[in-house]
Amino acid sequence: MRLKVLPPTLRKNNRYLTLDIKIVSPIDKDDVVNIIWDACIRFQGECMTSNFNLWVMRFYECGKNDGYYSYKSIVRCQRDYVEEVRAAISLVNKYDGNKLAVTTIGSSGTIKASKRFI
Amino acid sequence: MFFDLNINGSNLEYNLIMAREASKYGWEHINFAYNQNDFSKALDLKDELESSLSDVISFDYTLEIKSSNIDEIRKNVNRFRNKASCISVVGGEIKVNRACLENVKVDVLSRPYFKRFDAGINQVLAREAVRNNVAIELCFKDILKSYLSHRSKILSNFRDIYALYRKFDFPLILSSRAQSIFDIRTTHDFVAFFKQTGLTDAEIEKSFNTSYKILEFNNNRENMLFTGVRRVDDEA
Repeated sequence: MRLKVLPPTLRKNNRYLTLDIKIVSPIDKDDVVNIIWDACIRFQGECMTSNFNLWVMRFYECGKNDGYYSYKSIVRCQRDYVEEVRAAISLVNKYDGNKLAVTTIGSSGTIKASKRFI
Repeated sequence: MFFDLNINGSNLEYNLIMAREASKYGWEHINFAYNQNDFSKALDLKDELESSLSDVISFDYTLEIKSSNIDEIRKNVNRFRNKASCISVVGGEIKVNRACLENVKVDVLSRPYFKRFDAGINQVLAREAVRNNVAIELCFKDILKSYLSHRSKILSNFRDIYALYRKFDFPLILSSRAQSIFDIRTTHDFVAFFKQTGLTDAEIEKSFNTSYKILEFNNNRENMLFTGVRRVDDEA
């Protein structure tokens, strides 16, 4: 049996970050999940990361250009911790021995609105 | 105003790629940094870069002097003073840090904590930085490319520098020192990271203003007769 949905006043407030990902080898959505969780746990620690309420909502492949693969992703995080998540994610530079760059190109309150950054 | 005074310069094609990426991520001005050996060659690329980047982003050159010999640093500073819009010296050694901060012709002491176990500056050097208006530069790439204990130690050095900065108010600038497009981040990410390390919004904004003031000051440097006296073209 499923739990009853919380009323809006008791729900957590979320923000949706649009990420721009560049990497020299192809990745999939599960890799993005690993990258984001590892980045946050490494930079902010386990206790702090537990507040972030991270979830990868969408993942888009944007093709290959100039020797790297380009992806976009929409990641959910808790509203009060946007700066912490942004800082942690921006500090990733390698995944599986491959050069990687992740940067946040937009932040919005709904998934629909965050799609305008893609 | 988002200024990055230290993006590693390379050949023309890669400079264009870096500049376009920086512009896409919200930077308004970048300086390509070259060392003393490559700087003269880099000046030849300037016209072509200017024509290609005129409607993309404004740019200029930084001379980044990397040497542990104080006389060599002094000679290079005097040699390139009128050609570079910004002269920075890579610090790390105490004698280099001190020599730079005592030289009014140097604009920036880059990474005083480089390869050290402490911040590389103390109250004495901080006072010299204020007196000679030499900015101290913290690089995002040092954190980006390090991990675990090494990263923690650099962050600790940053905090020591922030403490001195709050007491003595020397010029502080933040830069990316990006070598490739994988090292460039959006301006908002850049600010978010430095906020996490302990700087406030106002301090970060002030650091970007400091970068702007360095470039503006050096544009007028030939009109500076001596400290506090400037030649003006106002006929009235």
